[in-house]
Amino acid sequence: MAELIATRTGGARHAFAVYRRSLAAHFRSIVEYPADFWVMASAGALWQTLQFAFLAILFANVSAIAGWGYHEMLVLVGFLTLGGATTAVFWDGVWSIGSMVIKGDIDYRITRPAPVIVQVASLHVGMQAFGELSLGTVMLVYGWVGAGLSPTLIPLALLMLACAVVIETAVLTALCAVNFWVKGTMSVFAFLVNDLQQDVLRFPLGIYPAAVRLVAMFVIPLAFVSFVPVEVLTGRASDWWAFGPPIAAAATAAAAILVVRAGLRSYDSAGH
Amino acid sequence: MPILEARSLSKRFRRADKASGFKGALKHLVQRKYKNFTAVDAIDLEIEPGESVAYVGPNGAGKSTTVKLLTGILKPTEGTVRVMGRDPHTERIANAHDIGVLFGQRTQLWWDLPVEESLKLLKHMYGVPEADYKARIEKFDELLGLGEFMPALARTLSLGQRMRADLACALIHDPKMVYLDEPTIGLDISVKDRLRAFLRQLVDDGTTLLLTSHDLADIEEVCERIVVIDEGRIAYDGPIEQLKAHYITTKAVDLVLDGPADVGSLAEKFPHYEWSAGEAASEVVVTYESARFTTAEVLGDVTAHLRPRDLSLSEPSIEDVIRRLYAGELTK
Repeated sequence: MAELIATRTGGARHAFAVYRRSLAAHFRSIVEYPADFWVMASAGALWQTLQFAFLAILFANVSAIAGWGYHEMLVLVGFLTLGGATTAVFWDGVWSIGSMVIKGDIDYRITRPAPVIVQVASLHVGMQAFGELSLGTVMLVYGWVGAGLSPTLIPLALLMLACAVVIETAVLTALCAVNFWVKGTMSVFAFLVNDLQQDVLRFPLGIYPAAVRLVAMFVIPLAFVSFVPVEVLTGRASDWWAFGPPIAAAATAAAAILVVRAGLRSYDSAGH
Repeated sequence: MPILEARSLSKRFRRADKASGFKGALKHLVQRKYKNFTAVDAIDLEIEPGESVAYVGPNGAGKSTTVKLLTGILKPTEGTVRVMGRDPHTERIANAHDIGVLFGQRTQLWWDLPVEESLKLLKHMYGVPEADYKARIEKFDELLGLGEFMPALARTLSLGQRMRADLACALIHDPKMVYLDEPTIGLDISVKDRLRAFLRQLVDDGTTLLLTSHDLADIEEVCERIVVIDEGRIAYDGPIEQLKAHYITTKAVDLVLDGPADVGSLAEKFPHYEWSAGEAASEVVVTYESARFTTAEVLGDVTAHLRPRDLSLSEPSIEDVIRRLYAGELTK
């Protein structure tokens, strides 16, 4: 009987259905109460417009940064923005792990027949990210055309973009899950790494010392979100590097699963 | 076979042992010291299918921790829990289909969604067939008045509405074993009455119930068995009626007289009863041991001497018993 129930409603398919339904319900509620959406989405779009303007002004004065031209930089920022924004749309709930742990709100999720992380991640939709998604797409496409990248590279770009989303999601999840141990309502580590990524990886890694490059490649492999894909697409790195993003995606996903599992094991709820 | 079985169940928490203030925090960083704190101490508990059990105790006695252990939220430090033969912590997902949980202090509703959406999400999560779902929603609407706030966002609900919606969430998959941790906390009388009537119905329909509450009226109206926990240990476990019979050994009659009552002379005249002044000057209370005297005897004695304008019998109060149990005056 137990196996029957487990196979009927357990497993990855059920988990995905739970996730999809929760997210769909939130999208419906955005449509029904659109005011918040427009405020948040315009804020995100405005922010990315500023980033766009920053690059345009920068490149009005210099012709290249570490050998990268204006349009290549736009592709780089496009990858960076799309990776983060997609994660924010589809996995924003993980930011609340910290406050849920403190308030004991994980409790209910443990008593339900679905993975806890899936229930938590689908609790929220990052509405500001819709604006970032649109501006990110504009920057990527505009840069792509301007840099003269071939349309035949589009499938590879999409694959690496998918890997970028997985890496972003996994890193964010693992960093937010630190709040299972470090009690606090703010996901300080996720904030910190996210900020660093937005500042540091906005530029080609070539301008940084070797230590920074090593960390971004092998410790928290966020270089595979934006930098490595654009290097592959522009032909700066050999084709072998195209295996980098999938490998980094698999490694970070595995690490995130381990961290979340360990976190849930150490969860001791709030109050007695 | 019991539906729920706990054997020498214990939970210890590790607490940072540090002095207060910044200095204490700094010292703790360098020299980590912890103290063990036992919240639940070797509890044995068996619940048969269909039983309605009240789980009571003073604040910090270990009630919530026990509920969290029984629902699989926490891993026991020692001992075992079996719910329908399964370990709720390691077989979490399979167990989830058989249990319903409500923590009155928190909500499981999706904060940004209408109540109806939350119920639908749970329906799919538990795999409840559409027909069963509809029938249950209809029943909940009838008994709890869900309909009026089904389209409202969870964050806009009043506490009473939220609690009713949460109760529906806990029961949407028709669980066999239901845990309710303070389901009436903060509610007004009319919502409480409604909730209690609903819970009685639930018990009558055969659902097994474990209820914790500080409101003893909840317990008396819904439960037949009571388990009292104090400092992590079970202080009493048995039928509520038996608890009353065992510990409520006296009864009282309040008398309202025409003039001022003279407690002293009454005590002299009837020394085998206990006399005390009432709330008003013309009131007097006579207390007697219910095993030695019948109420008729007492009234006969009293009315032979006095002509009370009015009298009322005090109901035996379980509250007093529980209070004395908490205070450690009574032992099993």
